[in-house]
Amino acid sequence: MSELPDWQIEIDQGAGRWQADVEGAETLEALRSLEVRALGKAGEIPALMKRIPQIPPLDRKAFGQAVNTLQARVAAAIELRRQVLVDGLIAAELTDATFDPTVGALPLKLGHPHPLSTVQADIEAIFSSMGFHVLDYPEIESEFDNFEALNIPGWHPAREMQDTFWLDSGHLLRTHTSAGQVRAMHEFPAPFRAIFPGKVFRYEATDASHEHTFHQVEGLMIDRKVSVGHLLDSMRTLLSAILQRQVEIRLRPGYFPFVEPGFELDIRCQVCAGEGCSACKRRGWLELLPCGLVHPNVLRAGGLDPTQWQGWAFGLGLSRLVMMRYGVPDVRLLMGGDLRFLSQF
Amino acid sequence: MLVSWRWLSQFVDTRGVDPLQFAGKFTTTVAEIDDVVQWGFGLRDVLVADVLAVTPHPNADKLRLATVDLGGRTVQVVCGAPDLRVGLRVPFVPPGVTLPSGITVRDGEVRGVASPGMLASEKDLGLSDENAGLLALDGCDAPAGTPLHEAIELEDVLYDVDNKAITHRPDLWGLYGVAREVAAMLDKPLKLFDLSLTLGAQLPLAIRVDAPDACPRYVCARVANVVVQPAPVNARLLLRRLGTRPISNLVDATNLVMLETGNPLHAFDARFLRGNAITVRRAQPHETLTTLDGQLRHLQAHDCVICDAEGPVALAGIMGGANSEIRPDTTEVVLEAANFDAPTIRRTAMRLGLRSESSARFEKSLDPVLADVAARRFLKLCQTWNPQAKIVSHLADIGPFTPEAKPLSVIRTTASYLRERLGVTAAELSDAWLDACLTRLEFQVARAGDALAVTIPSFRATKDVKIAEDLIEELGRHYGYDNIRSEAPQVAARPPHTPPLKLLERQVRNTLVHAGLTEQVLYGFDNEDARARLGLHEPAELTRVAVRNPIASAHTHMRRNLLPNLLAVAEAGLVQGDDGQPARKGLNIGVFEIGRVFVPERSDDRGLPPVLGNGTEADVAAYTAGMEGEMLRGVLDARLGTQPLPLQPVRLGLVFAERLGGGAEGAKLVFPAPEVTHRLLQQAIATLQHLLKWLGKVPLALETAGPAASAGAPDAQPSWRSQLGFDLVTADGETVGYVAALHPRVRIALDQPAQAVFLELDLAGLERAPAFKRVNR
Ligand SMILES: [Zn+2]
Repeated sequence: MSELPDWQIEIDQGAGRWQADVEGAETLEALRSLEVRALGKAGEIPALMKRIPQIPPLDRKAFGQAVNTLQARVAAAIELRRQVLVDGLIAAELTDATFDPTVGALPLKLGHPHPLSTVQADIEAIFSSMGFHVLDYPEIESEFDNFEALNIPGWHPAREMQDTFWLDSGHLLRTHTSAGQVRAMHEFPAPFRAIFPGKVFRYEATDASHEHTFHQVEGLMIDRKVSVGHLLDSMRTLLSAILQRQVEIRLRPGYFPFVEPGFELDIRCQVCAGEGCSACKRRGWLELLPCGLVHPNVLRAGGLDPTQWQGWAFGLGLSRLVMMRYGVPDVRLLMGGDLRFLSQF
Repeated sequence: MLVSWRWLSQFVDTRGVDPLQFAGKFTTTVAEIDDVVQWGFGLRDVLVADVLAVTPHPNADKLRLATVDLGGRTVQVVCGAPDLRVGLRVPFVPPGVTLPSGITVRDGEVRGVASPGMLASEKDLGLSDENAGLLALDGCDAPAGTPLHEAIELEDVLYDVDNKAITHRPDLWGLYGVAREVAAMLDKPLKLFDLSLTLGAQLPLAIRVDAPDACPRYVCARVANVVVQPAPVNARLLLRRLGTRPISNLVDATNLVMLETGNPLHAFDARFLRGNAITVRRAQPHETLTTLDGQLRHLQAHDCVICDAEGPVALAGIMGGANSEIRPDTTEVVLEAANFDAPTIRRTAMRLGLRSESSARFEKSLDPVLADVAARRFLKLCQTWNPQAKIVSHLADIGPFTPEAKPLSVIRTTASYLRERLGVTAAELSDAWLDACLTRLEFQVARAGDALAVTIPSFRATKDVKIAEDLIEELGRHYGYDNIRSEAPQVAARPPHTPPLKLLERQVRNTLVHAGLTEQVLYGFDNEDARARLGLHEPAELTRVAVRNPIASAHTHMRRNLLPNLLAVAEAGLVQGDDGQPARKGLNIGVFEIGRVFVPERSDDRGLPPVLGNGTEADVAAYTAGMEGEMLRGVLDARLGTQPLPLQPVRLGLVFAERLGGGAEGAKLVFPAPEVTHRLLQQAIATLQHLLKWLGKVPLALETAGPAASAGAPDAQPSWRSQLGFDLVTADGETVGYVAALHPRVRIALDQPAQAVFLELDLAGLERAPAFKRVNR
């Protein structure tokens, strides 16, 4: 038996050491650095080739083959080891039970839209989708826009009933969004339809259901022919969209100088389905909004000829709608600024 | 206003109609009923009793024994009523009967004496709260022992009609007007009043109306031989359940006739009308009158007064004077049934804070025709209750009004127009039905084919019905709005217009909410208390819009900047905690508001149609062509008198506030480390630039002394702005607002140790800001 050359012994021993090192690598990172050390461009195994000049010429071919074999074996061992480690990590990840849902929070913070804005935005979207302009008119108004133009002359009790805030300038804080009706008629050529939401002001003591400042949405439709039948259809459609359910409505006589005929519109009480309950004071109906066909004098004030143009109008209490939607018990919460209340929306 | 179904049924045949069911239809046809009250039920076991004898109770000073006749049998019961006397006719409740109040009358002893039954007061029977004595059955001539409900008028249903629903309907302020509506609803005839009278000789009073504008009609008569006593029990109970206290037959008669016809009346004691003269005139300077309620009233020139030869004896249409009121020994009265001008009455009643049943009615513009009807109804009733009473005068009728002088107005329209506006066809609402409906409501209908000439009855003409549209309402409510088909309007499909500022507001709101801030919607009033406490004020030369009639001492001015109200909200948040963060050191609050502020500077908006602002005389004439009366006057006055409105820019205000420590007293003097202020300021600036990016605008430049500000920009140097901050300048070189730290003096005044930064921006200025910077090529 011929004795093995020295280089052969060294390569064989090296193979054993590498195998042990590979099996000792406990992490993917350790395995990767071992791989670099063994097989990388400057790795120990490729470096063996540099010893060719010192190998007897007859052995050189065999030496080359032996180094290549070593390289292949170590590479295979590393790949095998990597599979083992990956399998272990996957299993560990899948069976992780250390998560504590109560600890830690993302630094993300979302703010809060005001509920009045949310409901107003919903209403604006509904009306906008049906071709209504969405307009914004001043809160300090002239007597003309707030009263005269709406067929409420100076002696009219409505001027006292409305409990107006007067300003030193002789102007007033609008008592209703209806003050925008004649503005809209002058701003847009007929036919048109529009809503104008906003703040209104009443000189009255505040309590859980009264505020000196609250929000309304005025609706106005001007066209060649506008009838009570049209009003009924429009109100049923729009209110169903706003309240997100099919509503049953009824009209009863109501007096507002700027509409004729004028109505109080009731919706069927949803709590009792019309049977009568405490929510509707046993009436089966809830009073929701005043509406009517635009009075010819208002059309005239708007520069429209009442023999050519007709219209309907309504005034929806936005604050009241917010209270209904969210079950807010006290209107004063809406403009009270309390973050404990507002941060829930 | 309360309506008695029983009384109403004297004018309309309501047999077969259940008033409880009918209430719903009344609400949708006439006026809203707030409540339906059942009165005088559950008393069918109560009997009429005559008091035959009264003897003392052996064991009690305040009780007596009454022997009463129940028709064929007598009973002795114990009674504590002070007015118990022989000859009195009263209700008797037999033992075992349970009254509506729940009390069961026992067959037992009272203080050792048997008392098988009870004599009852109004309160005992649940008829009213009156409990001072027994219910005296004056004027009830049924035999003793008759069931009470057969002897007097009980078992009534009352409609409590919402007064706000009838402010425009003077005719509904009397029962008769309500009966007219019910008759029309039931298609039954309405019973007419019997107005015939036997009148006496020449009225020994000289009557003059010197203020014809305040008093279109003054009807007056003198009645002698009257005896002041309680009115019959039915009348007293009727007044009682309609909310009026019975006083005496004469006063009660005026009240009953007012409730029936709607026209208030006043009765003077003729003895106290000095000089046998009545003059209706405006008050003179420094004149006074003590009214029936004992108050001394200082009169003003526009008040209307009724005077005798020496001075005022009544405040016209509001309240009589104490000097001439009916007294127990009155034997001769002068009755006034007048018509007064609504604005005159309202102005005086408002000024004196004296709203009576009478002024409430005159304020509604009553039909002058009613004055004569009411006078005759009173005289008739007076004679019924006082058969010996004599009308010793003519029925004087003075004033500018006469039925002939004021012809009824006529509305000319077409049946097809009325139908078209309701949205019904001729098949649904026929010509015959239309004519019949208006006729039932006492309109006179003259028809020529489709054309209609509709005469308005006097009681609807004072202010309620004027134009064809008013007839639409009459027809619609009686036809039933529920019977009108819904019909979708046929409209041109056009994209709606939304003002760019409105679109910007939506984006700003959404972006800031997504950036973690809480939106606020706050009062347009400043809060003077908070401003004083925190030392918040604009430079002295910048005035605010002042409120002439503030609702609260803190709300005397309109805000001209958003920050003060917003800061107060943030300050409260630092105490209360926010969004689950406890109120302790490090609590960081971000709030914003989008809203209008008010700057006294004149805008170019006068709150008038453009034609009234800058139209030629010809334009104005064209504009006012179809207007008349008050409308025309109002428009022309407005054209001359209206001043430009203040500026009302929409702003964005934003506050970041951070709590610096606990709330211990004195800890407010904690000064923030510069890094804290810097970080908050960076938070505000980063939020702003993030917003600008979303809006698609060039970021605003931060400058220490920016160029000229936009018209809607916040005030540059308010007390709350520290030097640490920047003007915010658009790429077009306009200052639209600023971002700054809170002034240390204001910060120290906060009730918590805190630091705050804020920004306030003119949104119209921001809207104008360019979306990109010019690129040099
Ligand atoms: Zn209900």
